[in-house]
Amino acid sequence: MQRTIAQINDKIRQQQAQVCTVKELKARVADQGVKAVAEAVDVITTGTFEPMESTGAVLNLGHTDPPIKIRQCWLDGVPAYAGLGAVDVYLGATMPAETREGELEERGGGHVLEKLIAGKPVQLRAIGQATDCYPRSALETTISRDTINQFYLSNPRNLYQNFVVGVNGSDRLLHTYLGPLHPNLGNAVYAHPGALSPLLNDPDLELIGIGTKIFLGGGVGYITGEGTQHFPLQRRLENRTPIGPAATIAVTGDAKQMHPDWVRGCYFKQYGPSVMLGVGIPLPVLDEVMVARCAVSDAEIVAPVMDFSIPRRIRPSFGLVTYEQLKQGSIQIEGQTVRTAPLASFYRADQVAELLKQWIVAGEFTLTEAVAPLPRERAFLAQDGMG
Amino acid sequence: MKKRVTLTFPRRAVQMPVTYRLAKDFNVAANIIRAQVAPNQVGKLVVELLGDIDEIGAALEWMESQNIQVSLASREIVIDEQLCVDCGLCTGVCPTQALTLHPQTAQLQFARSHCVVCEQCIPTCPVQAIATNF
Repeated sequence: MQRTIAQINDKIRQQQAQVCTVKELKARVADQGVKAVAEAVDVITTGTFEPMESTGAVLNLGHTDPPIKIRQCWLDGVPAYAGLGAVDVYLGATMPAETREGELEERGGGHVLEKLIAGKPVQLRAIGQATDCYPRSALETTISRDTINQFYLSNPRNLYQNFVVGVNGSDRLLHTYLGPLHPNLGNAVYAHPGALSPLLNDPDLELIGIGTKIFLGGGVGYITGEGTQHFPLQRRLENRTPIGPAATIAVTGDAKQMHPDWVRGCYFKQYGPSVMLGVGIPLPVLDEVMVARCAVSDAEIVAPVMDFSIPRRIRPSFGLVTYEQLKQGSIQIEGQTVRTAPLASFYRADQVAELLKQWIVAGEFTLTEAVAPLPRERAFLAQDGMG
Repeated sequence: MKKRVTLTFPRRAVQMPVTYRLAKDFNVAANIIRAQVAPNQVGKLVVELLGDIDEIGAALEWMESQNIQVSLASREIVIDEQLCVDCGLCTGVCPTQALTLHPQTAQLQFARSHCVVCEQCIPTCPVQAIATNF
């Protein structure tokens, strides 16, 4: 059995493509076997909804009269980067809001992104460097999605192919990017949807690449390249899934067509703000091998349990656990039963895959050939310079 | 019937074996959900009373006669379904498994009767969807 993306797209345009979500696919393969499913299905949709810190948006405000060259900028009190063109700013999801007195608030860039995507007004304050071209030195105004030229997400790292499980072996509560970790191995948190996750169903990145069209924040986006900390050389199991954080992708997409249901500001107590993002990837069924890869189950994927009480780059590990164990609600660590909780929403991950499926079935979303592959090799460097 | 009440004890009443009296005199089982009691301090007890409707009524009347303040409105955890994203982070800190994910759909479910209002879920929620009702 062989298919091409062009053949699949013809069927999509005629609204005859057979599409199933990755959750449905796993059940079907268990029932009917790889061969029969590969014959019957054209596209498999995958999705996730989880915190993705390396998310942010480029905004072009349009020029004022007299014009300004913005050097410092705040959106609803959240500092945005302004070292670009005169009225281009970059708003990052994890930047906390600050009061005019400089005190940090319990919200940040992720919340402002959500607000703008929802079409709500946002306060803008900017300080400019007065020059002959741009004489204005200050600006205060209100902007919204519809009053600025460009507003697009440009995310340097999304969609981790696997992640770690966090626990706390110390005797005090820790506030982390996985939420509160209770002392004496009080709880374990995993931030990844396991077998539902897009990149674990295409472990060697054979079906995606630069230019691949995806579901991003409720709208259409594209893969622009490898993500930061892309580490495809991570050790892998026989089924090619990595045993810890591995590949990542960089993505972009017009935020004006996104929906606040899929771009949600969030805040982790005493850690900081972030954003929860819905991302979905359609995988074309080109052959049986890819169907077999997509049939991978939670029992066949592992993640390392890390002790967050040692704040070092390499944290001590309590070994590997499967996503099946994690999703059952408890794992064993050194003879102790530790309760587990996810931080990725499986419900919403499935909804992303379902929505993407509906778009494809309706003939509104076609698949793309990658313009170039994502790198399969990349050194994973650390920063050890001491001066 | 079952009734959840919050009892506030004046300093003097802290010495009194209230749950014993409820069982002995009124045949009412008092399941302590939450307690904050110390010698010589105003005490607070959230209890679930189980018994005959009339006897619970009589028990409440008796407690009021002993200067124990009875409040029927007890503090409860409220989840804003519009804000909740069903991430499930709260399920890992809930000591009584009142918060769980549905085994099939993975949506958050809240079993109010299991909740002891420890409030650990409130600061855990990353989208601030959990609060108490007062």
